[in-house]
Amino acid sequence: MRSISFILKQFSRSVLLIAGFAFLGFSAYAQGDAAKGEALFKANCTTCHKIDQQLVGPALGPQLDSETDEKFLTKWIQNNQALIAAKDPKAVAIFKQFKEANMTAFPQLSDGDVANIIAYVHDEWKKEQKAKLTPAAGQTAAESGPSDLVIFALIGVIILAFIVILVLNKVIAALERVVLSNKGLFVEEVAVEAAPVDRLATFKRLAKNKKLVFFVLLCGTLALGSWTWVTMWNTNVHTGYQPVQPIKFPHDLHAGAMKIDCQYCHTGAYRSKNASIPSLNVCMNCHKVVKTESPEIHKIYDALGYDPATQKYDSTKSRPIQWVRIHNLPDLVYFNHSQHVKVAGLKCQTCHGPVQTMKEVYQYSPLTMKWCVQCHKRTNVDFKGNAYYDNMIAVHKLIKEGKQVTAAAMGGIECGKCHY
Amino acid sequence: MDSNKKYWKGLEELNKTPEFVEKNKHEFAEPIPIEDVLSGDGLAAGKSPRRDFLKALGFGVGAVTLAACQKVPVHKSLPYLIKPEEITPGVANYYASTYEGSAILVKTREGRPIKVEGNPNDILSKGGLSAQAQASVLDLYDVNRLKSPSKNQSDCAWSVADSYVKDELAAIKAGGKKIGIISSTTNSPSTLAVIADFITQYPTAKHINYDAVSYTGIIQANQNSFGKSVLPHYNFDKADVIVSFGADFLGTWISPTEFIRQYVQNRNSKSLENKKMSRHIQFETGMSVTGTNADVRIPIKPSEEGVALVTLYNAISGTTLPGTKKLANSNADKALMLVAKELMAAKGKALVVAGSNDVATQVLVNAINSLLGSYGTTIDLDNPSYQYKGNDAEFVEFVSQMKRGEVDAVFFLNANPVYDYFVSKDVVDGLKKVRLKVTFSNYSDETAALCNVLAPNHNYLESWGDDNAIEGFYTVQQPTINPVYDTRQAEQSLMVWSDNPVKEYYTYVRNNWDKTLLAIGGLSGQSGWETLLQTGFVKAAPKPAGTYTFDRDLNAVAQTILDHSNQLAQGKLELQIYQTVAMRDGKRANNPWLQELPDPVSKVTWDNYVCMSPSDMKKWGYFDGSVVKVDANGYSVTLSVVSQPGQAQGTVSVAVGYGRTLSGPVGNGVGKNAFPFHSLRNGTFQTSATAELTATGEVSILAQTQTHHSIEGRNSIIKETTFKEYLKNPSSGSDKAEGHKMYSLWDEYEHPTYNWVMAIDLNACTGCGACVVACSAENNVPVVGKDEVRRRREMHWIRIDRYYSFDDKGDGGITREHEIAKLEDLDNVRVVYQPMLCQHCDHAPCETVCPVLATVHSSEGLNHMAYNRCVGTRYCANNCPYKVRRFNWFNYWNDARFDNYLQNEHTQLVLNPDVVTRFRGVMEKCSMCIQRIQAGKLKAKIEKRSMKDGDVKVACQQTCPANAIVFGDANDPNSEVSKALKSERTYYVLEELDTKPGIGYQVKVRNISEIDV
Repeated sequence: MRSISFILKQFSRSVLLIAGFAFLGFSAYAQGDAAKGEALFKANCTTCHKIDQQLVGPALGPQLDSETDEKFLTKWIQNNQALIAAKDPKAVAIFKQFKEANMTAFPQLSDGDVANIIAYVHDEWKKEQKAKLTPAAGQTAAESGPSDLVIFALIGVIILAFIVILVLNKVIAALERVVLSNKGLFVEEVAVEAAPVDRLATFKRLAKNKKLVFFVLLCGTLALGSWTWVTMWNTNVHTGYQPVQPIKFPHDLHAGAMKIDCQYCHTGAYRSKNASIPSLNVCMNCHKVVKTESPEIHKIYDALGYDPATQKYDSTKSRPIQWVRIHNLPDLVYFNHSQHVKVAGLKCQTCHGPVQTMKEVYQYSPLTMKWCVQCHKRTNVDFKGNAYYDNMIAVHKLIKEGKQVTAAAMGGIECGKCHY
Repeated sequence: MDSNKKYWKGLEELNKTPEFVEKNKHEFAEPIPIEDVLSGDGLAAGKSPRRDFLKALGFGVGAVTLAACQKVPVHKSLPYLIKPEEITPGVANYYASTYEGSAILVKTREGRPIKVEGNPNDILSKGGLSAQAQASVLDLYDVNRLKSPSKNQSDCAWSVADSYVKDELAAIKAGGKKIGIISSTTNSPSTLAVIADFITQYPTAKHINYDAVSYTGIIQANQNSFGKSVLPHYNFDKADVIVSFGADFLGTWISPTEFIRQYVQNRNSKSLENKKMSRHIQFETGMSVTGTNADVRIPIKPSEEGVALVTLYNAISGTTLPGTKKLANSNADKALMLVAKELMAAKGKALVVAGSNDVATQVLVNAINSLLGSYGTTIDLDNPSYQYKGNDAEFVEFVSQMKRGEVDAVFFLNANPVYDYFVSKDVVDGLKKVRLKVTFSNYSDETAALCNVLAPNHNYLESWGDDNAIEGFYTVQQPTINPVYDTRQAEQSLMVWSDNPVKEYYTYVRNNWDKTLLAIGGLSGQSGWETLLQTGFVKAAPKPAGTYTFDRDLNAVAQTILDHSNQLAQGKLELQIYQTVAMRDGKRANNPWLQELPDPVSKVTWDNYVCMSPSDMKKWGYFDGSVVKVDANGYSVTLSVVSQPGQAQGTVSVAVGYGRTLSGPVGNGVGKNAFPFHSLRNGTFQTSATAELTATGEVSILAQTQTHHSIEGRNSIIKETTFKEYLKNPSSGSDKAEGHKMYSLWDEYEHPTYNWVMAIDLNACTGCGACVVACSAENNVPVVGKDEVRRRREMHWIRIDRYYSFDDKGDGGITREHEIAKLEDLDNVRVVYQPMLCQHCDHAPCETVCPVLATVHSSEGLNHMAYNRCVGTRYCANNCPYKVRRFNWFNYWNDARFDNYLQNEHTQLVLNPDVVTRFRGVMEKCSMCIQRIQAGKLKAKIEKRSMKDGDVKVACQQTCPANAIVFGDANDPNSEVSKALKSERTYYVLEELDTKPGIGYQVKVRNISEIDV
């Protein structure tokens, strides 16, 4: 359904674009080249400005609507500090309004460049305002997609259709019988009754075959036994556990498409026993700017008490996000991430699976003791280049004996190494 | 193996009472009612036991199936909203701070303090920490702390309390009546400055230091003798001969942690290897920790103390003070003559101390020390101690002023006189006439109950501040957690009420340091302050300690002392009032770790009691647990009697610090209050009195850990020798020379990576018990309470066994079997302490009997215990020759029956997150702090380097002020522990069982020379 809304959006955008270009011809401001302006805007301004929203600096669309003195604007953009230093009343007022935070000076921009940028901003702002007015209704409908009610209704209709078909079949059968009885053809039913007697006889005959009975019983016992065995062993093993999280955080996008390093967010993995779920200030490093309109990102804002319009934090409104824990070792076992990630140099995927392809994370490994021990028995210790192992008798002995220096051989499967 | 030594843990074992013999035969403390079940009212009782059995079985299976059907709970994970920069979840942060003047490090996890550790650079104790300091972290999470200010017994906002107090103070200022600020000794420069500012604002105010356990006697004596009204700084490390008259300087006297460190320096392995050992002679009434450590201990009555000092002075000076009489105690008299000779021989390296708070007694001690040339060497008057500054007379005067109605306002800072003043009624009456009564107490304590404003102070772990324990040594205190409750620092309150121009106490402390204190450490500015917060203290170069000569007239002094002695001697019995190591003055009575810490000597927990000599008890017809009424100074309490070998005959001892009524649910009603037994004499509180005992006929059994673990007559547990023997043959006592050939049934274990072992020096261990509390804090060891201790179910992973032996009859401190029968010798017993914990045997008997392999051996020489594998057969505990395994009879951390101790949402925050809490039905024991070993190894791996000796310090080792415990890798021949174990004194407990323990003990050495009695 999302693709439909996407197509709709694309379509409306292109319509708007054409409308925009048409409008351009009549524009009074269209002194600069908006296309050139776009490149310049993206290169120089986007760090601090957005057209429709306040970022570090003010939202430029409304700002340029109200400020029409282009000479002043050009000077301001090229070197606002000079203007303030010269005590230009307008400049000083703006400076004060923004808590005396200086805007970066752009002396490298020529007057033409600035005009191009202004033209681009005007165009974009106009487009956005138009977009808000015209296709609003259609878009919202498309975005919301089919509601649950519709789905239920559809299912209901299908079930109803089946019932109708069944009833119709019955009716047809009854009508046929009526027709037949009218013709006086009832003898066939006796023949029908004789058939099950035959079938039971076959069954009885088979039941007398002791070998067969034994074989069937054996199969049954084995199947039931192995099912019980597997079920019991996997009690409290939550491989594949994929709870619904409060925020639909897509690992496939962040770790997969964007190739963000796992430890950019899970900072503890290198240093601590906990890999740790990132705190929201880590999210805000990017999402202060990126995808600010997404309702999922707004959940972050709400949790922080952050208002994207004013860019202010209100700690009284903040509340923690309650993630559902997926990988959960019991308290009786001690596990340390840094031992495995930093010292052993394991990839996160070794235990957590292909997180970079998971839309929603699920538990990949069983996290049972058997699973831990198996890996400890199979994995060689990465002792090269780590002086810790240099003076260790055990390592030298194992190498001398021609054995593998596995974690287990170094004492990695002794009870007390994890259970304390 | 020497079979003629005999050590014993309690009189029951020594006397082989029928109850003891009977009890000892059994595996369990209480009989298991198998017989009852199998016969009589048990299975046969019902009409159809088979049907009942099937019903129960059916129900049981059904219930278990149902219980197993529940869904796995959903676990939530709540990350920080905005993570503080310095916090990494899962990694501990350490902050330098101060506890009662010692520099400490506070270990915090995820922003909450979970352990207090000594600062290794601390001037006083060099990283050692007392049991009280270790336990102090638990107070932070005490749910019984005051949670908000209150006015007239109802909770209010700080603003309401502030405006009320300020209005009242304004009115009082106009009225011109007195204002009192009563505090226990305050030595924090910033706090003193705030109080001074307060006094400037309200000129009628006066600050009075009032200590429940006071040292005014010493301070006043120094004023009288040398014109310096200070508590001197003692240097026990510089003394070759130490003579103490009732001063428990290794347990409770002034600065015990520091003194232990100093004292042990002349008695530990290093000193012995240099053929040097100090000599320590103790004259005292009750058996104190110091007395048990002394080379020679002479029991004397409180009334004999003065006479003994006069005798000693006469012997040293060669003069005779007027009124001198011969000491009735011939043993003590003989000893004193010899002691005088020894002291004179060690002139300049001798030290005489007395525990008395009597001015005259202390003046005489000063005179003796002056004759011995102690000033400038073992006693330093120029770098004095500020740990106690209390002035008894000032407070007594203040109480009478209150009673006369001359006082309009009083502020109590860390003081609780309604509980600990000797005439509590005077304080109660006086407070009725005071208009404004404010307490800064953390708890709604006895004094708070009578105050109209409660302005609860922060816990010290939530506060800014500083301390100045000794001259030139300034420590800084920084908060390690946001205030848990709606409390406010007392200094902040005083600043608000006195309209201090500085608004925040932090700024005040900062200014104070910037102005004067930082410069002492050669620091300045912001960077200096930041350095200070990391190092924790500054230290000025000590002033040269001057020599002082005593030249006052002693005639009057001697007269006063002897008069007092005569007075005391008139009663039937003499009473000595003392402090216990765990409870001290009772301010931390609500701390369950301290309540459950067994007293080093009596091994009693959760109570105070009347210590009596066994021969006196026989005479009076008492036995352990008899409840008696003690009458003295017009006050009486009923307490159980404990037979205390070594107690001077004709005396009883009772500890203060108990009998709190409003300390909180843990401390309320534990024991009886002994403070009212104090009396005032010549301006100071006296700790002795004449007493009368009356039997009540009742019996109340104390929760004693003493005879829980019988040694079954095995003689290779404790080994000791004398210094003389040691000099001749360093391996004397350790039986090294005997060289038995050992045959083993078991294969040797290889230790290819590490071999973690421990060495414990019995000559250094003073038995103070700090390790027990440190271990509890580190390893989440539960508190079980009095009832459970009575059932022998205490959970401590490390215990300190106390063994008595008889004083020698000329044969090297060894008691012969045949000598034991003579009960009169019980006055002159010797004591050896032995910290006992899992020995991590290579051939561990516990491992071979575990049916589920829950306890197994590791390649690093440790005996692992997998709790989740244990099914609770207790076979291991039964087979352990050291009796160090502990069984969880209850789910202590999650059982309403243990509510008061550790089971509540706040105290659980003190748990060490790296160590699991054990469930009911599981065996546990010392793990050699395996979490620290693993963390140490991981740190080395991350830093890509080999492990260094000292990378891992176990909790008991870290806190030990005596450095009696050394831990390390035996595979490293240069490690401290390898060196220690190579010592000739090393022996292994129950070596003959071939358990190959991982812990080696070093023989106790006593410096007994031929001049002993």
